[in-house]
Amino acid sequence: MKNRITELRAERRWTQADLAQRAEVSRQTINAVETGKFDPSLPLAFRLARLFEMTIEEIFIDEQ
Amino acid sequence: MHIRNEIRASAQLVLWTFAWVASLALAKFGPQFLWDPSRQAASWTAVALNVAAGACWIIAFTRFLRALDELQRKIMLEALAITLGVGWVTGLAYVVADTAGLVARDVDVAALPAFTGVVFVVAFAVGKIRYR
Repeated sequence: MKNRITELRAERRWTQADLAQRAEVSRQTINAVETGKFDPSLPLAFRLARLFEMTIEEIFIDEQ
Repeated sequence: MHIRNEIRASAQLVLWTFAWVASLALAKFGPQFLWDPSRQAASWTAVALNVAAGACWIIAFTRFLRALDELQRKIMLEALAITLGVGWVTGLAYVVADTAGLVARDVDVAALPAFTGVVFVVAFAVGKIRYR
C-alpha cells in the first residue's frame, strides 16, 4: 500500500523519530510504513491521520 | 508513555527470566549440593518454585509482547513461529531417525533449548533487517 507519510512529514519538518514519538511507535515502524514494507493497523492509521489532520484515504492509497 | 511501558515490560521480563533460571538451577543442583537427595520435600518445593517462576515468566513474556509496537510484535511473533516450527520439525525428525536406528550418538535434551535459542536469535535478526 502506497502512502504520503514521507511527504507529509517533510512538510511539517518532522523527522521519523518525531513522528514515531507522536504516534507512540518505534522509528523502525515509521520507516517500514513509509517504504511500504509494512502496512499499519487501523488504530495506527487513525493515529497518523489525526496527527496529520487528514483522513486515512488522503494518506494511504489503495493500489488494488 | 509507550516507551515507558515497553521498558517496564522488558525489565519485568528480564527479572522473571533470571528468577526462572535461578529456580531451575536450584531444582537441578539443590539435591546434590544444598540438601540431601532423600529430603524429597525440599526437592518438590524447588520444582514447585521453578514451575511458579516459569508461569510468571510466561505472563511477563505475554505482557512484553503486548507492550511492543505492532511492527516489533510482528517481528517477534514471526521469529517465535519459525523457532517453534524448526524445533518441532528437527525434534521429531531426530526422534524418527533415532527410532530407525540411524543416530549414532544420543543428543542431550538440553541441546534443544540451546538450538531453538540460536534459531530464535537468527530469525529475530533476519526480521529486524527485513523491516529496517
